Amino acid sequence: MGTIAQDDLYRLIGEANARGERVVVATVAHTRGSTPQRRGAKMLFFESGQTAGTVGGGCVEAEVWAEAREAMHKGEPGLHHFALTADEASEEGMVCGGTMDIFLDVWENS
Amino acid sequence: MNPTREKLTLETQRALRLRRENPKSSHQQVTCFTSGTSFDYASTRFVYMSDHLHKGEAQLVTKAISRMLGEGSAGVLVSLMALPESESGSLRVGSRLLAIESGERVGTLGAAELDEEVARQVDQFLSSREEAKSIKVGEFAANLAELARVQLLFERIEAEPRLVIAGAGHVGASLARLASLVGYRVTLIDDRAEFVSRELFGSPSEQGIDLVLAENWSDAVRQAIATGRRVSVAIVTRGHKQDEDCLRAAISRNPFYIGMIGSRRRTNIVLDKLREEGAYEEQLKKVRAPIGLDIAAVSPEEVALAILAEIVAERRGGSGASLSSWRRP
Repeated sequence: MGTIAQDDLYRLIGEANARGERVVVATVAHTRGSTPQRRGAKMLFFESGQTAGTVGGGCVEAEVWAEAREAMHKGEPGLHHFALTADEASEEGMVCGGTMDIFLDVWENS
Repeated sequence: MNPTREKLTLETQRALRLRRENPKSSHQQVTCFTSGTSFDYASTRFVYMSDHLHKGEAQLVTKAISRMLGEGSAGVLVSLMALPESESGSLRVGSRLLAIESGERVGTLGAAELDEEVARQVDQFLSSREEAKSIKVGEFAANLAELARVQLLFERIEAEPRLVIAGAGHVGASLARLASLVGYRVTLIDDRAEFVSRELFGSPSEQGIDLVLAENWSDAVRQAIATGRRVSVAIVTRGHKQDEDCLRAAISRNPFYIGMIGSRRRTNIVLDKLREEGAYEEQLKKVRAPIGLDIAAVSPEEVALAILAEIVAERRGGSGASLSSWRRP
């Protein structure tokens, strides 16, 4: 899934929170070099396991996914650094070589 | 210094100091400056939660964002992403402040003076072209030395850009479909009902296109542009009389972008006419006529592409040149 319009995005978060559910929001906060997504790109992770949006394909997304699961479990937001160095990128068959800082935020009505 | 601000700052500093000295029992001490604070300061409306762990804080922010987007205004969502290890004060990763361009604020980053400094950055960030930016407090608030290494995320929150198209002929219709795909909220205007019928724009991806049957071009264009903020206007009607009426109406609303189709000669005639009527030279200079980037477009769809490329370049600050042009100077 591609970009989500901002009104949909915050509506989705609000609705899930209103149901008492936690939502983990991954946001590309900073990029260096060649990366698969722009700053500000977002991916939502819902308690149901559903997702919306993307922060980039391939191995980054898998790693973000794992961190998001952790954040969902613990309810702790945090800033994570992901490297797509040329070596890793070529091994994974990815076209990009760069680094991304991704902020995993937890939205809930605590 | 405003006495209210001075008092707040001192109180906040005291609370932070107490918190550092005695991290375990500090919760109440910290709330002394954030508890239920709701006051007017320098004509800015503050909306403080009782503290950043307030129940329902996320809900307040998401609701405020929906309301703000519905009203067509813009704001910045600022999140606290990381704290230096030495920081054991009241601040918490994940706290957030929504600062709306009107001056309204919802939520808090956990310290009144930090909220204050962040709010000062809102206009500057909104007038930049950045969508999101990672920034340390020390980069913009030298006075908050204690918080210099606190890392924040600034995110632009604003409604999708709008495009008003005057003229639903081949070019106008193609432009409406293309722009809708690219993420613009489109209003398509014509004075011929059969050109703006829903049957022509019936597919799911075209449902978002607003179709307007104009009795009067000027009124329809002015109404569609509304306040003009973040609105682009493409004038592609079937004749110059209509183009002229639309251009006059568009200029009066001062939108972000105005383009008008036609040959250099024909568009000059229209611009000269408006000049004679007393339109400001500044406003006329902003008008892109002939409209679009030079991609030697021939078909209506290609012309629509050239127009949309120019509108996107204007919004994002692009030059319109090939990215590879540096290779062959």
